Amino acid sequence: MARYGMVLDYKNCINCKACEVACKEENGILMGADKHRIWVGTGEIEGQYPLLDLTSNVFQPSQCQHCDDAPCEDVCPTQATFTDENGVVRVDVEKCILCTYCMNACPYDARYIEERTMTVDKCTFCTDTRLARGETTTACQNTCPTKVRIFGDLDDPNSEISEVLRVREHFSLKSHLGTNPKLFYLT
Amino acid sequence: MEVEISRRKFLQGTVAMSVVGATAATSLLSNEHAAPEKSGSVSFHATKTGTGKSHDVATLCEMCVNKCAALARVEDGVVTKLNPNPLFPKSKNMLCARGNAGIQALYDPDRLKYPMIRIGEKGEGKFKRVTWDEAYKAILNGTDKFPGLSKILDEEEDNRSSMLFCAGEGMAEHTFKQFYQAFGSANWLNHASICLQTVASGYGVTLGVYPQADLENAEYIIMAGANRAEAIVTPDTMDLFKRTKGRGAKLICVDPRFTNTAAKADKWLAIKPGTDLAFVLALTYVTLTEELQNKEYIEANFNGYEEYSKSVIENKYTPEWAEPITGVKAKDIYTIAREFAAAAPKAIYYPGRRSTFAKSDFQLRRAMAIFQALHGAIDNEGGLIFGSKLPLKEHEGLMPLYDRAQARAIVKSTDSKGHQGYDDCAVVSGGGSWISWRNHFLEDKMPYKVRGMFCYKHNPMMNMPNTTKTAEMLRKMELVVTIDTMPSDTVMYADVVLPECTYLERTDPVKTFGGVEPSFAVRNKVIDPMFETKPVIEILKGLTTKISKPLFEISKKHDEELQDLIDEEGEEKAYTEFDLTLPFVHSQEELNHHAVAMYIGAAEKLHHDGVFYPKQDEYYKQLAANKFQYYPEKKKYYSTRGGKPKTPSGKVECVLGSFTAKGIDAMPVWRDEYEFSVPAGKFKLLTGRHAQFTQSGTSNNAMLRDLMPENFIWINKRVAEQKGIKFADMIEVSSSIGKTQLKAYPTEKIAPDQVFFIHGFGEESEELTWAYKNGGNDNMIIEDHIEPVYGAAAMHETNVEIRKV
Amino acid sequence: MKIGFINIPFKEGFTIKSLFSFEKTPTNLLVAVFTLALLASFVVGVAMFLTHGHHAYNVTREHPWGLLLAVYIFFVVSSTGLCIIGSLGDVFGFKDYMMISKRAIFGSIVTILAGFAVILFEIGHPVTMLIYNVLSPGLTSAIWWMGTLYGLYLTFMIIEFYFLLNNDMKKAKIFGLTGLLVGLAAHSNLGSVFGFLNARPISNGVYYPTYFILTAFITGVFLAFIVMGFRYKLNFPAKAKVMLEGLAKIQGLLISILIFFVTWKMLTDIYGGMPNRSEVAVHILGSWTFQAEVLLAMVLPLLVVLTTMGRKPVLMFWASMIGMVGIFFMRYNLVHDTQLKPLQMLKIKEYQLAPEWIHYFPSPAEMLISAGGLGLCIAMYYVGTKMFNLDEEEGH
Ligand SMILES: Nc1nc2c(c(=O)[nH]1)N[C@H]1C(S)=C(S)[C@@H](COP(=O)(O)OP(=O)(O)OC[C@H]3O[C@@H](n4cnc5c(=O)[nH]c(N)nc54)[C@H](O)[C@@H]3O)O[C@H]1N2
Ligand SMILES: Nc1nc2c(c(=O)[nH]1)N[C@H]1C(S)=C(S)[C@@H](COP(=O)(O)OP(=O)(O)OC[C@H]3O[C@@H](n4cnc5c(=O)[nH]c(N)nc54)[C@H](O)[C@@H]3O)O[C@H]1N2
Ligand code: SF4
Ligand code: SF4
Ligand code: SF4
Ligand code: SF4
Ligand code: SF4
Ligand SMILES: [Mo]
Repeated sequence: MARYGMVLDYKNCINCKACEVACKEENGILMGADKHRIWVGTGEIEGQYPLLDLTSNVFQPSQCQHCDDAPCEDVCPTQATFTDENGVVRVDVEKCILCTYCMNACPYDARYIEERTMTVDKCTFCTDTRLARGETTTACQNTCPTKVRIFGDLDDPNSEISEVLRVREHFSLKSHLGTNPKLFYLT
Repeated sequence: MEVEISRRKFLQGTVAMSVVGATAATSLLSNEHAAPEKSGSVSFHATKTGTGKSHDVATLCEMCVNKCAALARVEDGVVTKLNPNPLFPKSKNMLCARGNAGIQALYDPDRLKYPMIRIGEKGEGKFKRVTWDEAYKAILNGTDKFPGLSKILDEEEDNRSSMLFCAGEGMAEHTFKQFYQAFGSANWLNHASICLQTVASGYGVTLGVYPQADLENAEYIIMAGANRAEAIVTPDTMDLFKRTKGRGAKLICVDPRFTNTAAKADKWLAIKPGTDLAFVLALTYVTLTEELQNKEYIEANFNGYEEYSKSVIENKYTPEWAEPITGVKAKDIYTIAREFAAAAPKAIYYPGRRSTFAKSDFQLRRAMAIFQALHGAIDNEGGLIFGSKLPLKEHEGLMPLYDRAQARAIVKSTDSKGHQGYDDCAVVSGGGSWISWRNHFLEDKMPYKVRGMFCYKHNPMMNMPNTTKTAEMLRKMELVVTIDTMPSDTVMYADVVLPECTYLERTDPVKTFGGVEPSFAVRNKVIDPMFETKPVIEILKGLTTKISKPLFEISKKHDEELQDLIDEEGEEKAYTEFDLTLPFVHSQEELNHHAVAMYIGAAEKLHHDGVFYPKQDEYYKQLAANKFQYYPEKKKYYSTRGGKPKTPSGKVECVLGSFTAKGIDAMPVWRDEYEFSVPAGKFKLLTGRHAQFTQSGTSNNAMLRDLMPENFIWINKRVAEQKGIKFADMIEVSSSIGKTQLKAYPTEKIAPDQVFFIHGFGEESEELTWAYKNGGNDNMIIEDHIEPVYGAAAMHETNVEIRKV
Repeated sequence: MKIGFINIPFKEGFTIKSLFSFEKTPTNLLVAVFTLALLASFVVGVAMFLTHGHHAYNVTREHPWGLLLAVYIFFVVSSTGLCIIGSLGDVFGFKDYMMISKRAIFGSIVTILAGFAVILFEIGHPVTMLIYNVLSPGLTSAIWWMGTLYGLYLTFMIIEFYFLLNNDMKKAKIFGLTGLLVGLAAHSNLGSVFGFLNARPISNGVYYPTYFILTAFITGVFLAFIVMGFRYKLNFPAKAKVMLEGLAKIQGLLISILIFFVTWKMLTDIYGGMPNRSEVAVHILGSWTFQAEVLLAMVLPLLVVLTTMGRKPVLMFWASMIGMVGIFFMRYNLVHDTQLKPLQMLKIKEYQLAPEWIHYFPSPAEMLISAGGLGLCIAMYYVGTKMFNLDEEEGH
């Protein structure tokens, strides 16, 4: 039993997309632009060459927020989407009827259709791969060249993630929606 | 912790190796321009790791030059995941996107699988599958389509230099080089002259070494003409970006384009291409006139300081002078010079890597090295460092003396000692000048006939400016043997194709990695070679077994020295010096064992962990999820020579008198012809890296292509608007030598008189499902200019026109 | 016909063969061919779906709900509308409306079945749905409530229809009322499927659940005109004229209210200052599908009502036909506009324009299946007219 969360020191991110590939290879995600559990968002830079606005540039790595109050879970008609004992929001392939309501309800665009099972899929914090083998890192965290992510148990006050959240300022995405994300971005 | 294994498992059993058809365009956000997927049944391997039995093999990535340490997870004989190996100080527990996608290279359905010989016309790509023995035989005896080595060497009277050898960078390049040496040719070409020649040499002649940069501790970094966020170099990329943006290191990015490095910088200077020398000279001017330099260091470690100082000051290389030339504000140059000096010696003017952009490049690198040295920031924590290197026991090669073998082709002076120059550049380095060599060969300016070539892990069709000429060269070569993993554009011109296994299927020579935290690392074989592929060492073993004796017979016929030797010592004894098989009798594993034999336990450790350095067990610690200690702070090799340069004189060489004789400036000075200019209506073409691709080598990688399907040409947004060019419009880019087509990316990240696109796309080999005609090929249009010192390709000297098609 | 204690009073002379005999007037033939074509397109569409799976649809990660969902909503709203119309007579006892009750209730059954037939091919795993709807009900899910209540509703409608056929008006009334209530509940839950989406500010809130009831009523009235128009071949008897005049006036009122609803929704959306809402509303305002909705479902029918004061049922018939086209756009817009705004506003690929609006255009398979839904609807209704006496029993 744990309450897994992730801290992102997102200013480190160089948009190399190692995390995206690591996730695909680890978790057997199919090819295709719309089939991804994890992504890095960027905006087009503002200003006119050469007076560009350096601050307008962001690389924002993201994935499922594992919301404590997950809209995707609330709207699921068959409880296929559930929060497991480790606080990880997951989809039970047996129960998912592919109504895609959750895809519409997730404010983060974190869900996609897995085409072999024809059910909805999303980041699992590598629950059925790495964590199931007893590993303590996720594929995306482990591979990152600039070490953007820290993964760990939010309930354990001694965990690195808890420590970082105590000492560093952070924010979460679309927090006004009341989703209570478990992904935290360090400022 | 309790974790349940999801029911998803039923899908794939323990290991997923399902080959799934990639799905057609469902593409999102569909602006009408969403990239259309290439039709056709393209497959890739979806790998999902399981929870069943598995083992990890410690290996090294070879998706690019960096050699990051990886742990390959093997389940049921299938590589299901490549993870970073935390033990390696150079790669510090990371694998980039390409490193992760190495699995797709291993399981690429387009891979070369069998030896082949040409049956169609040259370049047509028609081959016949043969056995290894038949392939070797074809190399020796030829077929009705092409001559073999015995014919060529016999006709050329045992001039071993009638065969060219070329290789791309790689861990087994050394193995191939041994073949070249044993074969006895003097014609060797590698990536240097299209990559780092000028930077390596510029620093080499000035500081005695091409140094590393301690980005982990530097407080001020000028990164000019290097894009570490996209052109990944370890450990630099990892060290740097954790500390920029007000977090310890101030980064000044100098690049005509707004790169991802610029995005992470504290300041970005949009310099005019090819004018960096003026920028550095102006920085130097400020340093000298404001007396910001480290006088003590200069006193102890400089040669020719006065002369250089005088030149810079008297030539009035002021920031105001540099401003119109470089486009960088004088004010910024003053500030940067002062800030740099204030931060020194924890300040770095980053040397860069693929440096040869303009004709001034060698002088630029010299000026950079001197500027760095002026602040004494050499061989110190937070500066440029020499580091330390653990010695390896060299494995002895074979270097027979073939009396008939001629010196490197196209030399300027014919006397036996001084074959130091081509007629278009001053110095011939070990790697040679690819463009010079090729062009002279095409123009029949060779002092003797070169009739064939061996090409290892190298793709001249894609890697060198003026593809048309490269194709001509390959067509003119009577015997082309390529050793590659993929049916590349160059392979299409081969007469004999020898398929090497990928890096995950072979053990390569153990390598020593110098630096602040030196170590050995080795690539261990992860799985057995698939299909009929082999590691290059075994390919060469097979080949030399076949050709050694017959070629010896040819030498015997033409080589009088050898005849004498035989008379003296008997044939059997004489042959031992010419036995080409000798370098390849031992297996790679044995050779590696031997190489590290002097370190107790190293061989075992390397086999098991992939990495070794003395006291590793004591030193290595994981400090946090993302933090590792390799050497304790006190044991790191920040300084190994007390700042003393590694030049023969032990001094920083400001003035190189010997160069004047060759028509090269002894000191970095600005020349008017270096000035940036583009005729109206044209654009300067820039080329470079992308974080998800390695040159041409990854263009067929399904996973990487999935991340970025093709390259687009960057065109300034306002210019595009004027020309009515919209996002994803197809553009024809043409120069004096050719044209290519790719889609438009209007952006403010590039100047109105420049365009840019990523190198490595637009291959012509139909055997490459993903890469075939995908995007634009820069070398189709980059003119073959060379810089005058080493003959390195000056890649940003081409003006192009663009047209919407 | 009697099966056990169930008595189904088929129309006199009904045989399977009689199903295929109809007066061969040009209009009838045209309708017959049209219906067959629609049914064929259903078969083709389904075949495309079965061979290509969801790839046959143009739905994406960013736009997971497509035409089929819109058509499903179109049908179930029609069903609820017809149920309301049917209830006017037999539940609420408005005598004038008695004459349409049976027809409307049968229509509501037919339309919801058509809706189910369409959605069957949108939901990935309908069988799983039946199982886990029961085994692990998602009680917080509007879709669960909507689906479950519609299931119940259909049951009640069938029972009500049964009693209507058997002229058991008391029981019909009980089941009719229950059915109506359940239907309305289901219906507002359908609205809340959108209303609950706080990820989608344009749809989020109480608006859709209420609006849905209103638009259902309007749809019901349109359909009443169409049904009666076909029944009497536009040659309305006096009694029907009286009823239809009443309906037309009600329709005028309902549409006026709807226009108020929509106007205020637009105004609050645009000027409410809510991020992600006003720019979407402005975008919607400029889209031709929205303009079609307003023109066809609101402005034209209202104009007809106002200019004729409801006394020209033939004109109202045509206005209603047009109105239903408008209602179709209304449903399509609801589904599409909800998903207009990308949830991810950043580029996630190197060479891509920053997402602005999500585009969607239905695929052939989606269009064929949707058209097929209409075909099913007409066919079932036709069979119903052959099997049962859908007119008001004389003497009541
Ligand atoms: N226009 C332009 N030209 C450039 C550059 C540029 O930026 N712009 N960059 C330059 C630079 S810096 C460099 S270093 C050069 C690089 O040029 P090359 O050395 O030619 O490198 P690649 O283009 O990556 O091609 C490598 C070839 O090796 C093959 N290969 C990969 N792995 C193996 C293996 O394990 N064994 C064997 N036998 N073959 C293998 C690949 O299939 C491919 O054909 O290109 C240069 N050319
Ligand atoms: N992901 C990835 N990483 C790689 C490689 C790869 O292929 N892919 N290749 C490896 C190899 S072989 C090499 S050599 C290195 C190359 O590493 P780099 O040399 O850092 O990479 P490039 O992209 O070739 O060029 C660097 C930058 O120089 C800029 N530039 C061009 N002209 C000028 C100029 O005149 N002045 C200044 N100041 N800037 C200029 C370009 O816009 C570009 O952003 O990367 C290595 N790392
Ligand atoms: S791996 Fe790390 S640096 Fe690279 S894109 Fe992902 S988060 Fe950013
Ligand atoms: S981010 Fe989306 S998918 Fe993930 S828990 Fe929250 S609502 Fe659900
Ligand atoms: S698609 Fe699956 S997981 Fe999502 S709401 Fe529907 S049943 Fe639940
Ligand atoms: S935690 Fe695992 S599943 Fe989630 S994005 Fe990272 S790698 Fe993918
Ligand atoms: S930088 Fe990437 S591709 Fe290059 S060796 Fe390292 S992991 Fe491999
Ligand atoms: Mo390079």
